[in-house]
Amino acid sequence: MRTLLRLLPARLHRDPLVRAVVALDPDPRRTILAILAGTAALGSAVGLMATSGWLISRAAQQPPVLFLQGAVVATRAFGISRGVLRYLERLVSHDVALRGVAALRERLYRRLAAADQATVAGLRRGDLLARVGADVDTLADILVRSVLPFAIAFTTAIGSAVLVGVFIPGAGLVVGAGLLLSAFIAPWLAGVAARRAERGAARARSETSAEMLALLDGVAELKVAGAVPARLARLHRLDDALTARLDHAARPSALAVALSTVLTGACMLTALVLGAQLVSDGQLRPVWLAVVTLVPLAAAEAVAGLPAAATGLVRARAAAERVLELLEAPPAAGEAPRGPGASGPAAGTPTAPALLRPRLVAEGLDCGWPGQEPVLTGVSLDLSAGRRVAVVGGSGTGKTTLLLTLAGLLPPAGGRVRLGPDPSGDADGAGAEPRELAGLDPAVIRRTVSFTAEDAHVFTTTVRENVRVALPGAGDEQVLAVLARAGLADWARTLPDGLDTMLGSGGTGLSGGERRRLLLARAFLVGAGMLLLDEPGEHLDPDTADALIRDILGAGRPDPGAPAVLLVTHRLAPLDAADEVLVVEAGTVVARGTHAWLLDRHAPYRDAWEAEQGVALAGR
Amino acid sequence: MRPLDPRLLTHARAARGYIVLTAALGAATAGLVVVQALLLARIIAGVAMDGERLADVRTPLVAVGVLILARALVAWAQDRFGHRAATTVVAQLRGRLAGHIGELGPAALEGDRGPALATLTTRGLDALDGYLVRYLPQLLLSATVTPAVLVVVWWQDTIAGIIVLVTLPLVPFFMILVGWATQTAANRRLRTMQRLGAQVLDLVAGLPTLRALGRDAGQGRRVREVGDSYRRATMRTLRAAFLSALVLESLTTLSVAVVAVSIGLRLVYGQLDLYTGLAALILAPEVYLPLRMLGLHYHASVDGLAAATEAFAVLEQTPPEAGARPAPDLRTTTIRLEEVGIVHAGRDRATPVGLDLEVRPGEIVALAGQSGIGKSSGVLALLGLRHPDHGRVVLLPSSGTGGDEAAVDLREIDPTSWFAQVAWSPQRPLLVPGTLEENVRLVTRPDDLDLAEAARLTGLDTVVAELPDGWQTRIGHDGHGLSAGQRQRLALARAFLHRAPLVVLDEPTAHLDAATEQIVHASIGRLRDEGRSVVLVAHRPSLVALADRVVAVQDGPAPPSAHDGPWPDGTPPPGDDGSAPVGAGTGTVTR
Repeated sequence: MRTLLRLLPARLHRDPLVRAVVALDPDPRRTILAILAGTAALGSAVGLMATSGWLISRAAQQPPVLFLQGAVVATRAFGISRGVLRYLERLVSHDVALRGVAALRERLYRRLAAADQATVAGLRRGDLLARVGADVDTLADILVRSVLPFAIAFTTAIGSAVLVGVFIPGAGLVVGAGLLLSAFIAPWLAGVAARRAERGAARARSETSAEMLALLDGVAELKVAGAVPARLARLHRLDDALTARLDHAARPSALAVALSTVLTGACMLTALVLGAQLVSDGQLRPVWLAVVTLVPLAAAEAVAGLPAAATGLVRARAAAERVLELLEAPPAAGEAPRGPGASGPAAGTPTAPALLRPRLVAEGLDCGWPGQEPVLTGVSLDLSAGRRVAVVGGSGTGKTTLLLTLAGLLPPAGGRVRLGPDPSGDADGAGAEPRELAGLDPAVIRRTVSFTAEDAHVFTTTVRENVRVALPGAGDEQVLAVLARAGLADWARTLPDGLDTMLGSGGTGLSGGERRRLLLARAFLVGAGMLLLDEPGEHLDPDTADALIRDILGAGRPDPGAPAVLLVTHRLAPLDAADEVLVVEAGTVVARGTHAWLLDRHAPYRDAWEAEQGVALAGR
Repeated sequence: MRPLDPRLLTHARAARGYIVLTAALGAATAGLVVVQALLLARIIAGVAMDGERLADVRTPLVAVGVLILARALVAWAQDRFGHRAATTVVAQLRGRLAGHIGELGPAALEGDRGPALATLTTRGLDALDGYLVRYLPQLLLSATVTPAVLVVVWWQDTIAGIIVLVTLPLVPFFMILVGWATQTAANRRLRTMQRLGAQVLDLVAGLPTLRALGRDAGQGRRVREVGDSYRRATMRTLRAAFLSALVLESLTTLSVAVVAVSIGLRLVYGQLDLYTGLAALILAPEVYLPLRMLGLHYHASVDGLAAATEAFAVLEQTPPEAGARPAPDLRTTTIRLEEVGIVHAGRDRATPVGLDLEVRPGEIVALAGQSGIGKSSGVLALLGLRHPDHGRVVLLPSSGTGGDEAAVDLREIDPTSWFAQVAWSPQRPLLVPGTLEENVRLVTRPDDLDLAEAARLTGLDTVVAELPDGWQTRIGHDGHGLSAGQRQRLALARAFLHRAPLVVLDEPTAHLDAATEQIVHASIGRLRDEGRSVVLVAHRPSLVALADRVVAVQDGPAPPSAHDGPWPDGTPPPGDDGSAPVGAGTGTVTR
């Protein structure tokens, strides 16, 4: 494909669409095969009309039937070959596109795996996922429906022109010029129409959508306010404006179709007039007149589909730009240690030893996303073996950012986080100094500090694999043991296919509580000495959330080797089981202490707790 | 799924005219195709066979030129009016849907239908474009051009006509046969394909999780492997799926070849003249062309028809019958909820259950209870936006509780006259695209409060003062963003603007700072002083303290059926597992 690319003018090399199609890395041999098959299929249609025209004209001169045998065979052959060749072209072009899709997705994945945490976190918001999903499909689609058809139309037009030119060179030139003109101007006009519809109408479209969504969103409120008719009238007005814009945008499209008809018709008419003149003058044998007329008539089909192909190209441009942006983004620099090849020879190897009784110390820690203002400042925290700490506070106060920083997934915006063996531990690392996270092998951090996001992913695979993703080599008894520890022993027993039961889309549904507990089992399987959990009770009903949080805070107890737990939560009721609660407000820790102490001394905490207990008040 | 759904004509008037026009253009196309073919045959035969010179065929040549221009004009009109019809039909369907949703109210969005409706009414309907611009014209062409041209071929050369007539039905026959033979395998492969396709995206979506587990490296190869399996599964599916296209193209092309050979052989024996032979040859492909185009654009039509079908399904939901009795004057009417229970779609618990509530003129009633217990749903029932599944909401005119015979079920009340007396600030207030003023004043009522006064009562005045364009600041979609607290004040001002006898406020002081909270508390007190009834959904103790009465809301399992009758007062419903919160029963505490 890169070789073929050299045929294009240099300016096009920088075009996002061209670069994105090149990024699919289409196999050159298969691509050429697809173009040849497509050209031969269209050529069969042209050939069918050419041979039949000759056959009929010659037959009218009543020669011996034997003289017609060749043409009869050729006519039938063309009749059969067209469908078969088209089938071949379809298969090969889809194969090329799908190979490109697989390769491009892999490259995008590797790119993402090496990207910074901010990019990766964006995956959950759906936009990046759409780039890897729908956008890549769009690129494959235009390869099959736009790029290859243009190439095939080009070769067919040239072939038809040569065929006519053999008999009448002048007519050949006219047919070639007419078909090529039609292959460029009509699609160009269609492209203009598509661009206008996309950009010119963008504002009108988004205004209409916003009004429609407002109506859907607030239909109850609008009904009570008696405002539904007013909003409907406004929607009609906006939709009228949108219709007018789209109508204006579509103008060149109709022109494209008309022009295509005129140009291909003119080709045929020119060939007919020149042919008739030459036949009259005795310079062309009469049997060829039908051939030179019918060839351009049949070749018109080659360019007929191009305006639609051009529309597809215009619509795919945005997708191409998004994919390229992801693909060509400079790799993250100056990031916290992470995944592949970040540092040290052992990076990424699952065998890196974990710290057995770890201690995590944060001093004057500021947390924030790289390149943005810190959202939380001056956090000091000592998470030694077995301690249970909860962080509470309003939404957007940086609690999740704090967890990501403590887990080494985000670099500290200020202050420091150190990880080392707990000096109070009786065995291994007594006396060893804790080291800053940035200086540690990420594999060691991952196996020591286990972070579970609020929206952590449940993969579309079996229960076993979903748990084992934390520790690939784990056996069934280990998987069952952590499921039991996470409170899923009964659930695991009732699974229809045991550990082979499929989860995720199309699999068995998980309730919110089961999902959280499955993630917890995963965290247990890592065997980390420290669990960082983000909002484990989110989206659960209050009773379920409280039970789960109590289980987490009590996990492994009274075993002295129980992991240290740091959790972010908005449910306060179960925090009597925590050793310490940090209250975060307006970018800093405003209060800390035990649940009982905070209830007694910190009024906002008590208010929040009372609000949570709401119903109890009413019964007072 | 029918290729042309008659409901489209009912719901989108623009579609009717378009279909008539397209049929007319189809007929014109048929005429132009036939005349052009006959003229071409006449010119070629005349020059090649009968020794005519260019000058002798000048008239037909000019005619062919004119025909080409006419065909271009028809093609122009088809595309022009096709796109116009598509945008108009989409707008008309959207308008219809919006109007119908306005009638259905929140019931239209219950369950998880909201996102689907949002997609359908914004981008979803655009899929009709492919159907109306590309597919429908070919559908009508195959009903006009195909038979018309067939008749002419038959008239010119009976044998060619017979060949075409025999092969024509073979096209759909074999396509159906192939489709039927490959269906089971195709469905199975399609599932495999979808599963593998989802798996690739699943790995990508799970990347943050894999990274947190330190397992993000080394998955690239897995992505490639699954991607390759996806390709192989897709290709297996496509090999079968393209068979029907193979049949379509092979049959139509082969038929033309058979016609050509048949004509040629009969010409040799002088059974036919060149003119007739050429005319039949040029016309034969035109018979099949609309069918081939239909096959080509079939996929473009599927999405459009699916969107249309989805729209019709919404339009066919009948809104609950609106009552006809004018609402009594709420200044002297007590509103009473009797054992109201609401079961949401897909839930087995009723939220709330057995809710008893009485709102007398000029009193403040607070609804309290855990979040998710059904306070907001209870409010929806009180407002008449959601008819309860159990129990009822009644109006008792002339303030007293004495005459139950005078009680009127809210269902029988005309909604317009009822809503005219109600102001409501919901938990998640709506922001409409427009200015701040347009947002506060959704509608203009003659006796509305002054805008500035409503702002003063809710603390919105300080927000207006801070905004660069004041009341004219554009908010909502791509406008000025409002914080949760500013939004709350806007919603309260909206409710206070309306001098309604019944004011319902859902957590009015959420997101408000202490100073604004005090202002709002005072304003709520003023409403009562004016003799208006206030219903509060309240969490904060300070807000609850404003109420004359507090009613605890509770949930529970859905009652077995409505006719089981009400449970004894104050006892949990049968089947309750005893997890009822403190203050079980519909305890009403009077302070």
